Order: sequence, then C-alpha cells, then structure tokens
Amino acid sequence: MRGLIIAVIVLAAAPLGLPPFAMTLLTEALILGLLAMSLDLMVGYTRLISFGHAAAYGLGAYTCGDLLLHTTLPLPFAVLAAALASGVIAIGVAWTCTLAKGVSFSMLTLAFAQLLYAVAFKWTAVTGASDGLAGIPRRAGPFGLTVFQTKNGYYYLVLACLLGAYAFCRSLVQSPFGAVLRGIRENEPKTLSLGYNTRLYKIAVVAISFALGGLSGALYSPFAGFANTDLLFWLFSGQVLIMVIVGGKGTLIGPILGAAFFMLLEHVLSLYTESWALFFGLIFIGFVTFAPDGIWGLMRRRARV
Amino acid sequence: MTTHSSVPRRILLQSAAAASLVGGGRSAVAVDPIKIGMPVTLTGALGSIGTQMRQACEFWAKQVNAKGGLLGRPVELIIEDTAGNPSNTVRKAQEMVERNGVRLLTCIVASNEALAVAPKLAEWDAIFVSGDNGDGRLTGESLVPNFFRPNTSGPMGTRAVTLWLRDSPMKKFYGIGMDYAWGHNSMDVFEREAKRAGKEFLGAVFSPTGTKDFSTYITKIRQSGAEGCYLVLAGDDNNAFLSQANQYRLGDKVQLLTEQVDEGSINAVGDAAVGLVGGSRYPATLDNPANKAFVASWQKEYGRLPQMFEGDQYQSCVVLQAAIEKAGSIEAAKVRAAMEGLVVDSVKGRVEMRACDHQGEQAGFVVKVVKKAGMERPVPEVIATYPAKRITPACNKMSYDD
Repeated sequence: MRGLIIAVIVLAAAPLGLPPFAMTLLTEALILGLLAMSLDLMVGYTRLISFGHAAAYGLGAYTCGDLLLHTTLPLPFAVLAAALASGVIAIGVAWTCTLAKGVSFSMLTLAFAQLLYAVAFKWTAVTGASDGLAGIPRRAGPFGLTVFQTKNGYYYLVLACLLGAYAFCRSLVQSPFGAVLRGIRENEPKTLSLGYNTRLYKIAVVAISFALGGLSGALYSPFAGFANTDLLFWLFSGQVLIMVIVGGKGTLIGPILGAAFFMLLEHVLSLYTESWALFFGLIFIGFVTFAPDGIWGLMRRRARV
Repeated sequence: MTTHSSVPRRILLQSAAAASLVGGGRSAVAVDPIKIGMPVTLTGALGSIGTQMRQACEFWAKQVNAKGGLLGRPVELIIEDTAGNPSNTVRKAQEMVERNGVRLLTCIVASNEALAVAPKLAEWDAIFVSGDNGDGRLTGESLVPNFFRPNTSGPMGTRAVTLWLRDSPMKKFYGIGMDYAWGHNSMDVFEREAKRAGKEFLGAVFSPTGTKDFSTYITKIRQSGAEGCYLVLAGDDNNAFLSQANQYRLGDKVQLLTEQVDEGSINAVGDAAVGLVGGSRYPATLDNPANKAFVASWQKEYGRLPQMFEGDQYQSCVVLQAAIEKAGSIEAAKVRAAMEGLVVDSVKGRVEMRACDHQGEQAGFVVKVVKKAGMERPVPEVIATYPAKRITPACNKMSYDD
C-alpha cells in the first residue's frame, strides 16, 4: 500500500521533471496500462482469454473521436460516453461469446474484433475508412474548463481515469462479485452448482472490461488526435494480451507495469535493431517459462525475500 | 503499441561533413543545424515511392551542405520509417518535434498520413511541405495554415490526362483504383472530367492496398467493353497490375491510362509498361536550365536519370529552401509568410506558391511509355504539356469549371 502511494506521488509529480517527449510516452503508457488492466479482469480473474480486446479500445476511440468531431460535447463527457457505449455494446458481444467456452470463446472474441475491423474499413462516413479520423479536437469544457487541452492537463486526466479505474477494479475483485469470478476461474461447474448463474457473471465482467477498455481507447483518440483501423487490428489484441501476461495476470497492477514495460522495450529495442519483435518474443518466452507471475510477481518475490 | 511489429525505427543523421566545414571555419562554436524531419514510408506497399523521395532529399541536403548550408547552418535530415501507417507517422513526427526540436517536416508519402499529421501542425508550431501528397482535400477542406504543397496534386495530375482525353477519339472508359483516399478521390475527378469531355464512364473497381492478384479485376475491365481504362494505382500494386495486364494482353484491347507514369514501375515491370499513357509529375526529359543542371548532377552522383518522385520531392525541397532563405529563419510564422506567394524557377519550370490555398501552380505533362533504340528500358516521352493556369484548380477546389 505504501508503495502504491509513493507510485502515485511520483506519477503526479512527473510533469515537473520530465521533458515533453517523455510525457507523451508516459501518457500513452498509462492509457495502455488502463487497457491492459481492463483485460486482466477477464483474463486474470475469470480466465476468459480474449483475443479481441482491441475491439474495446477501437470502439472507445472511434466513438469518442466521432463525438468530438461532430458534436460540441466537452472532452470529459465524450470520453465517458464512449466508455459507456463500449460497455453497452459489449453486453451483446458477451452474450454471443459466452455461448462458447475455452478456446471457442477466445476465437469468438477474435472474430468479433475482426468483424469490427472490417466494418471500420468500409464505413467511411463514421470511421473515415483507411484514412481514419484525423484532427480529433480536445474540446473545452465543461464550464469553459480548458485545462485538459494542455499536454500536462491531459496527462492528469489520464492519470485520474487510471487511478479511478484501478480503485474500482480493486473493490470489484474484493467484493462478493469478485469471489464468484474467481470461482468461475477455478471451477466453473462447481460455481454453477452452488447456484450462481455463471453466464450472467461472465457477461457482466466482459461488459465492465469493455467499458474500461473503451475508456482507454476514448482517452487515446483525443490524445493522438487520430484514430484508424490499426486500433482494431488483431495484432494489437495480441500485444495487449502479452502486456497482461508479462506484467502478471490476476494482479491489476501487473498489467499496468506490463504495458509500460512493453512500450519502453519497443522503444529502446527498435533504436538498435529492426527485428525488435524477435527479441521481445524471446523475452516473452522467458517470462512465461521462468516467471509465470510476470513482472509484478518478480517484484513481490523480491520484496518478500 | 499499434505499430506493426516489423516496423524498424531507423534514425539516419546526415549532417556531419558540412557541420565541421561551416562551424570549424569561423569559430569553435558548433553551428546549430537546420533539422528537417522526414517520417517516410520505406517499407510496405508504398516503400518504393518513399525510397525515391528520401533519395531526393538526401541529394538536395548534400548539395546545400556542399555550398555551406542554409543561412550558414548545415541541413540535417532526421529520417524514420513509418511503414505507411498513419498512427506511426503522427507518433514519429511528434517525436521528431518534441525530442529533436524539428520545426520543418517533409517527405511524408501517403495522403492519409499527411491528413493525419496536418491537424497537429499548429500544436507543434511546425511547417509541413508536401513532396508528393496528392489528396485534393489537403489544399481544400482539410487545409491548415502550416501546410504547403509545391508538388503536383492528384486532381492536377488527373487534369492533365483529361485535357489530353478531350482530343482523343476514345469514347468509353472504365477505372481501377486503390481502395483508399487517393484512389477514390482521383477516380471521382476522372469520372467527372470524362463525362464533361462527352465520354462515357462505365464504372470503376477498387482494390485494397497490397493486392497481389488482379485477375478478377482484369476480367471486369475486359468485360466492361471500355476502350480506355484509367488506373489509380501506385507502388507494388501498380507493378502487379501492369505485369498481370500484360499476361492477359489487356493492352491490346484497352488503352491503359494512368494519373501518373512512375519510372519505378517501368523499371520493375519492363516492357509490360509499354503503351501506357499518363500524366507525369516530373519527366526527367524536361527542357529548362534548372532541370538540365539537376539531371546532370544527379547522373553524376547516381549514374542514372532522376525518377518522377525524385524530381517532384526535389522541387519541394528547393521551394522550402527558397522560403527559408527569404524568411531568414526557420520559425513557422516567418517561413509561412515567406512561402505565401513565393515564385521559384525549379526543375519543372515556374512554380508559384499561391497564398490562398498553399498549392504550387505549375505546368502539367502527359507522357507515353515507349521503347527507344539504345535504351535498356522503356522510357516516358512527353506527348503534351499544359500551362499552369489550365492545370491548377481554383483556390480550395478539387474540380474544374470547364
């Protein structure tokens, strides 16, 4: 807990000491961290392996982008509305996907994400097709508030969303609802026989996870000023899954670290080699084999020793 | 994150020699270089175009630095590969601005990358000088104050072809384009122009970027009964189409027209390109003093003629250079003021950067690919030249009134 407070203080003070480009990277890392954490609810706590979490991100990003481009909704409201929209759409997705279990569930999530990708590629009026949405503004407001239009102001918005989402997820997994999720993870038939409608719980967790993933996507598009079909691509879904596993699944904090680690490593490795993905692959194999608890697991083990 | 994992992040810094020449001669203090950011597509479907553009920039930088630099400062190019992905392009450009202190951008290959970068220019306080971006919207509805286009735009390229079309005896036309902004945009313009010339436009098909097999498209073109087919394809897609069209002997039945004849694809497909008629943004055979000097020194350097995108990007570099010299600064506001109304005599002749929509007014050319004795490969030969006033659309417009 003390570590957490220190981390928050350091993050809050970051704009004072870091140059602009480092702040850009850090903001993006936090956005990705939020996305990875949202996936952790499914992967880590319920063992619902999704190969299509880019769908949540893309839904949020496009919805927020369109809201900011075509309406006068202030930025924070557009972001929240986009998150909500992803969550609502996810109820339908989850209803379909939870008809299947295990690998079939994963394949359905992948199929859904690819479906959205195809739609985004063709629906020019809404998504701009291959051009994407460009020039997404950070609209002022509410009440003439312009703080989020600045670089550091936007960083604090992202930080606040991440902390809020973390607090929410933490209380969620510690609640009786979270206990049922863990029950599903460990032994679904048993949980079912205890009288829990596990499918409803699964639908709920997918919807929550998508809403938070949508929140991170909604934060991304005004941050980059841009959204395109890459945000929905299956490769990206895979990368998010890697962030969760490398960071340490079922820990909430781990995936945030995993996302930051992934971004940093991509950045550093790609300075030295064109085939950075190869080295990242090796690191990933290393983690899965020798440190299945991920970065967070390693850190905790060290702390205990 | 969203980068395709194959994307390399190459940083090639070019400056050193001139820096020591200029700085060392006068004082011990190093001269601050003029940094020019180039988020360029070097890999992927449009990689061949990006490679041409990069070479033109490098050639230009070398020339400038050999003469003591710009405003007494060496030019430094900061080059990174975007793999043609707009979100990469925005991120890399942002990195160049925030980390390297870049205030001038050029060499962005695809129009969708340019459209993504343009809205960010005000925030970055940076100028972006297009070297090849064709999308009409860039100087139309999507125009931003810090964007300039000294090169021939897509509608202008198509315009040259349609002016030529009016005198042609062919009546029925079909089209094939790449399924992204530039493809649809150019095809719309062609359709309108063909109809205005009293021709029949039978329809068009669009292929996704990176299409390898065009056989179904070729069948559609054959079955359409058109006499001419308009191509809006670039890079590898164009090569694949031309080679396959040659196998299917499409050229015997249908005159292939294109917005632009690119030597890159002539070199790639060889004789399969013979007979192709199209616009050219820059034919190396142009007869003017600036071009003769350019071609001569290019040949000395690389042992071959400059290609279309090399000439076009080079002209953009020369325009940027003139603007910086006129402004005496690289501050965005000053360069912008200097750029508006600037007139430069470059490789394509007279270019005027008009203030109203930042488009460079310039002549248009139509060429035909022919086989010439003594030449190893077919070459584009200029068959018609049109003056700037007829080629350049009205301000902020993508179409023409006559």
